[in-house]
Amino acid sequence: MAAPLRPRARRAGPLASFVLLPLLAFLAACGPSAVVPTVPPGATSSAVPPATATPAPTFPVTITDDEGTAVEIPAEPRHIVSLTPAATETLFALGVADRVVAKVEDIAAYPPEADDLPVVATFQGVDIEQIVALEADLVIAGGGNPSFTPISAIEQLRRVGIPVVVLYARSVDEALAGIELIGTAAGAADAAADVVESMRADFDELAAATAGLDRPTTFYELDATSKIYTVPAGSLYAEMLELAGADPITTDDSYEISLEELVAADPEVILLGDDADYTTVDDVAARPGWGDISAVKDGNVLAIPEYVLVTRPGPRLADGLRALILALHPEALD
Amino acid sequence: MSPGSSVLAARAGPTGRLGLARRPVALAIVGLLLLAVALVAGIGGGTVAIAPGDTLAILGRRLLGLDIAPTWAAAAETIVMDLRLPRVLTAMVVGGGLAVAGAAFQGLLRNPLADPYVLGTASGAAFGAAIAVLIPVRALILEFGLLHGFAFLGALSAVLVVYKLSRVGASSPMTSLLLTGYAVSSLLAAGLAMAMYLSGAGLRQIFAYLLGGFDASSWGRLAVAAPLIVLASLGILLRARSLNGMLLGEEAAAHLGVDVRRERAILLSLASLATAAAVAVSGLIGFVGLVAPHVVRLVVGPNARLVLPLAALLGASLMVGADLAARLLGDIPVGVITAVIGAPFFLALLRRTRSGYEL
Amino acid sequence: MIRLEGVTVLYRERAALHDIGLQIDAGERVAVIGPNGAGKSTLLRVVAGLLRPASGTVELAGVRLDRLDRLAVARRLAVVPQLPTLPFATSVEEVVALGRLPHEHPVRGMRPGDRAAVAAAIDRVGVGHLLGRDARELSLGERQLVLLAMAVAQDAPVLVLDEPTVHLDLRHQVEVMELVGDLNTRDGTTILAVLHDIGLAAHFFPRLVLLDRGRIVADGPPADVLTPERIRDVFGVDPGFVRLGA
Repeated sequence: MAAPLRPRARRAGPLASFVLLPLLAFLAACGPSAVVPTVPPGATSSAVPPATATPAPTFPVTITDDEGTAVEIPAEPRHIVSLTPAATETLFALGVADRVVAKVEDIAAYPPEADDLPVVATFQGVDIEQIVALEADLVIAGGGNPSFTPISAIEQLRRVGIPVVVLYARSVDEALAGIELIGTAAGAADAAADVVESMRADFDELAAATAGLDRPTTFYELDATSKIYTVPAGSLYAEMLELAGADPITTDDSYEISLEELVAADPEVILLGDDADYTTVDDVAARPGWGDISAVKDGNVLAIPEYVLVTRPGPRLADGLRALILALHPEALD
Repeated sequence: MSPGSSVLAARAGPTGRLGLARRPVALAIVGLLLLAVALVAGIGGGTVAIAPGDTLAILGRRLLGLDIAPTWAAAAETIVMDLRLPRVLTAMVVGGGLAVAGAAFQGLLRNPLADPYVLGTASGAAFGAAIAVLIPVRALILEFGLLHGFAFLGALSAVLVVYKLSRVGASSPMTSLLLTGYAVSSLLAAGLAMAMYLSGAGLRQIFAYLLGGFDASSWGRLAVAAPLIVLASLGILLRARSLNGMLLGEEAAAHLGVDVRRERAILLSLASLATAAAVAVSGLIGFVGLVAPHVVRLVVGPNARLVLPLAALLGASLMVGADLAARLLGDIPVGVITAVIGAPFFLALLRRTRSGYEL
Repeated sequence: MIRLEGVTVLYRERAALHDIGLQIDAGERVAVIGPNGAGKSTLLRVVAGLLRPASGTVELAGVRLDRLDRLAVARRLAVVPQLPTLPFATSVEEVVALGRLPHEHPVRGMRPGDRAAVAAAIDRVGVGHLLGRDARELSLGERQLVLLAMAVAQDAPVLVLDEPTVHLDLRHQVEVMELVGDLNTRDGTTILAVLHDIGLAAHFFPRLVLLDRGRIVADGPPADVLTPERIRDVFGVDPGFVRLGA
């Protein structure tokens, strides 16, 4: 399967509303318990404020992560563990690499300096013992629905007293806020502020470049080896595509879209965010049923060479936007 | 049979088993030693290497209050006390509970192929867990998530449904139970498949649960699950006499003074409770509940007074060992280990038998 | 010892037993005979307390059966079951030891007295040569003797046998009957046996109770009960087929 690091959301659909309300009522009656309802699917980025952080650079500090959990970090962390590839990139970009002791397995490994770090988490699971043995005092984990880092691992780590900050970006703003959060947690708030400022400048510039341009209906393909996966509405990826001057075809939180829906939407452009090892531009035209799509007929199927730039909410996100614009509106970058 | 061989047979002990059968105390000691070895290995082993001396010292200091100056890293102590110890103890309790429940079901249903999941507990738990995964709410009650709560309720509900439905049948109550259990399990399996199909990527979570494991063990969870499992198992142990009575069938049991309806209900409830608590805590781990009682019976015979406690010890040791193997082999699900070891073992047991599947 | 008065048992709206009146005193040896469907097994189950009659009373040793719990019944009345199947390998001693269930300590199990009773029962019935063998591998006759030993170990004043000679070869049939007679004459055990072989019943039992379609049609010594007319009426066979022993 291509790119195992892509989070796949659950289909919330009708079942959720049928069960959710009575269940919440039941749980509310169940006395002291930490009920952490997830944000209802389909919420747009503007409805959710970015996660807050106290701006003081000194420790101890209490952070509210993207799941709403208040995480207390008593002292500047000296053994940081990154459980998402985006966090790994961010930590290195913030200049705290010397305090990072372990990382998650990364197919599209970046930066090369991180190659030597021991891997304590793979798709199979998280090695809690190793993390404890490394005397971790801060763990950056990935959230979402379902959670990128297994919830049981997050709970285990918190149970043995390790602060775990869970991040999940649903928009560009949230991605930038996440970088700031990592900075505050790691004791590099100033560096984070600088990175974010420069990224915002890039975003503003790029967004301005595409502002008045024609917006083609665009299908961003995450994977199509078995089912077809594309960007959910209200996700980080959808916003990136909009900023890049596209009118993205979106789906619900399951990331799945049927071929019928795709053909009905008839995109003018198809962007291949798949792993290039599995899917090339030529493959797409050969697919049965795809031949009628305008993008295929007009030959507007474009590959995104480094897809992680687009999907990884890390310090290179602006580069991802640039890559999208290069594919969609190359003239805007001149 | 010639006179000579009958004398020999009498000398060899009951049905040619080891003379140990006459000394239950010796067997209990062997069982406890086995468990102790398993516990020590389980606490000492893991992905992080900790010197055995340090492990013992940590245990001595924290559990026995011995005054030992700490020469080890604080991380080692956290790993031993907060990660490994609760995990190993959970495995022990679950293994013992499943073995006792398995022995009880085998005795009640008079079927050597019965295991703790035979009346739908596994399917009910899996279905409950799958439903929980479909619900996008995260709740935490006493350190147990929605998934565990639903699994527990699913397991118990399934048994209740099977019990109620089986009353309608015309065949003997136990046959009726078995067949209804099979039917309800199949239905729940279909429901599970549907839920898994709808789950999209929550599938990974459901699978992790189905394959079973102890990596989410904690003192908090142990404090909730252990009393349930231990008390239910003790309840079954105390009713060993009724299980013995059932050996010749329900009618003979009544003639021997067993209140069959009451004992059947009590034993079924206790065994189901222990099983439901076990699967809620550790997912579906098979074969231990099936194989442990049989191995013990090979040595001591079918007397439930001996089989139940010894099977508990063996089941606990097996589970701790399987968990250790799972950890050391790269965090494979425990259910895979027990299946890989249990299935061939069971086949070997089958081949030893002389008549049909009677073991 | 055993007293039934006006006992009626309904089965699917038919009377399986109709207004049964029966009295068996301590030390008696009684056989219940009759064609299939006459109600012999039903009668046995009523006596053993497994079936509650729709009307009438059943008394065991002067106490009403419905006032006794299963354990109390088991201490007063032992039943030799028809050959049940065993799910696990079970030794002969273990089967006989089951007879002590009503007496042993509920948690701790058999006490020395119980073990002695088991050994005594094995001796009494004469299955000592089968010790150490898996009960599932015995011949039918041997298994029946073991089950008899189990009932003897139960040490109850009343012994009920449910068709003990079915499937047995002649030698074992006689062996079982002689043993049962011995238990009655030497130990004073009250015997109630359901038999399908009227020849055997007539030879070994001083009192026969003849059941037909849920009613007792005769009760007394074999010569009085098994008259040629009765044999023709109830069993529908030529009385010449039935040889009555001395």
